Amino acid sequence: MAEVQLKNVSKSFADTSAITDMTFGIDDGEFVVLLGPTGAGKTTTLRLIAGLENCDAGSIEIDGTVVNHYTPAQRNVAMVFQQYSLYPHLSVRDNLAFPLRSPILKTPEDEITRKVNEVAEILHIPNKLDNKATELSGGEMQRVSIGRALVRDPAIFLMDEPLSSLDAKLRADLRVELKRLQAEMKKTLLYVTHDQIEAMTMASQIGVLDEGRLVQFGTPRDIYQNPNSTYVAARLGQPRINLLPSGLFGENGPQGASQIGLRPENIEVGKGRDAHILRVEHLGDQTRLHLKFVEHDLVTLIDAHSDYQEGETIQISAVDPLFFDAAGSRIS
Amino acid sequence: MERVASATPSPIAHSVRGLSDRAIAWVFVAPTIFLLLAINIFPLIWTIQLSFTNYKANRIGREVKNVGLRNYERILTDTDIWLNMQATAHFLFWTIALQVLIGFALAWLINKKFKGNDLWTTIIVLPMMLSPAVVGNFWKFLYQPQIGLFNYIISFFTGVEPSSFQMLGQVNLAPWSIVIVDTWMWTPFVMLICLAGLRSIPDYIYEAAEIDRASKWRQFWTITVPMVMPFLMLAVLFRGIENFKMFDLVVQLTGGGPGSTTELTSINLKREAFEKWRTGYASAYAIILFVTVFGLASIYVKALNKVKER
Repeated sequence: MAEVQLKNVSKSFADTSAITDMTFGIDDGEFVVLLGPTGAGKTTTLRLIAGLENCDAGSIEIDGTVVNHYTPAQRNVAMVFQQYSLYPHLSVRDNLAFPLRSPILKTPEDEITRKVNEVAEILHIPNKLDNKATELSGGEMQRVSIGRALVRDPAIFLMDEPLSSLDAKLRADLRVELKRLQAEMKKTLLYVTHDQIEAMTMASQIGVLDEGRLVQFGTPRDIYQNPNSTYVAARLGQPRINLLPSGLFGENGPQGASQIGLRPENIEVGKGRDAHILRVEHLGDQTRLHLKFVEHDLVTLIDAHSDYQEGETIQISAVDPLFFDAAGSRIS
Repeated sequence: MERVASATPSPIAHSVRGLSDRAIAWVFVAPTIFLLLAINIFPLIWTIQLSFTNYKANRIGREVKNVGLRNYERILTDTDIWLNMQATAHFLFWTIALQVLIGFALAWLINKKFKGNDLWTTIIVLPMMLSPAVVGNFWKFLYQPQIGLFNYIISFFTGVEPSSFQMLGQVNLAPWSIVIVDTWMWTPFVMLICLAGLRSIPDYIYEAAEIDRASKWRQFWTITVPMVMPFLMLAVLFRGIENFKMFDLVVQLTGGGPGSTTELTSINLKREAFEKWRTGYASAYAIILFVTVFGLASIYVKALNKVKER
């Protein structure tokens, strides 16, 4: 395991720029998640680190060595692809053993068998070892491709939305499993996703990407509490942060503030200004209120057992709102 | 409910002539079945029947005697026919070996993404599109000892006098001359099938292998070859069956000579049937060839299916 540094990395394909001036570091043993919508450059970042693409500018360092011109093999990275990129003509066992049979490693065959069995055990697929790769379900295939990374001891694990094509239950299970594995084995892991829950639950650091730029990097808590722009603020939190013009609550914003961001916990119900209840959603463990507040739609959470009705008018006030300027940047 | 029911097509024939749908289906299939019976099944049965007789097609009035298995016995114990079989096996082996090797290599090169590879594909595929009669004829010119380009090129590279050897006229060279022409003409076919195989392998598999630190050499042997193998075997099957029946090119080039060095079984069969007019004997010969090629092909198809399942 090792640390990875990206310094001012840029990459463009033909005329479109995919990554612009990206700088961040992954410390040894850290679980870093890159979060962003489709097309933000998440996958490209992974492929650049893996060596499947070469960067146009900047440098990539693994363990203090600049690896810009290294082949993927020389970089010693393991990668899990979004599509299950299994070798279709090989059995699950041979798929898992494939990286170990690299002549670079010269792993003895009994050692290979031991490791393959161990990983199959971890991923709950020991009874599938002799199946052909194409005879597996989607979830099993993705577990095999995660397993193919786990049998190795690479400098870093790269995972490209490995859970996105699985069903909700399996996704939740594997999410916990992956986090546990990473924590137990002290592996360095860079994980790409557009799912904020995956990011919040697994990451020790989150990098938020927007159109090829890294817009904020920090711990999940820090990014949630101190987003540096409306874009970042909107990426985390369910229901989404409410953005309103500032001054509606009579609050005193700093110089230049033109918008305020209110997460559900920033909205206090019971006193303040009038808001109209449009819809009440009972989700069981919580209740969502959709409000009309001076021409603006708001969503907030209240106690699950409260019995507000549609059409009622309630009073709300803002508690510690986040202030943003007209362009969406945070001001404090 | 009613709308669903009326949307389901009622038997069309009902309104036509009281025919059921099944009857209409038979009407459409009947011409094909008739032709199949008339030009495939009936001749086959008749040939089997003739193979047990001494029938001669040029002596219509002659009494036809049943000779039992004598035709078969004579063919299988005839040393000349075994020589023809050997010539055919030699031809089959070398054409398939060369076409697979060169065809795969060409496909592999064409599959590299370079500019103009579509144009190259078209150029390479051209020989396959020509008529075998034409190909046979112009290779005859190419092989011509005095003016032939082939002899000239060989002499250019080896220094041997161009007119000192005759590809079509020498016992040791004639079998190779037909192997070369067939390879020239049909390698593109093998190439196309291999190309289809290579293009069916997604890029991400190679990327995964790259990440798994497999060398290009290992990627070739553990990914490319196994994944192209079913396609390659299919190409071999097609070429094998075709070349077992090889006739047109050889007739144009050597006519079976010199001596009987290039007399493949199909040429030999044609001689027996339409020059010597030993129809009964030739029928038995045809049946033996049919069983051989059918047997080999079925064994081969079994192997092919096994490879596909892997």
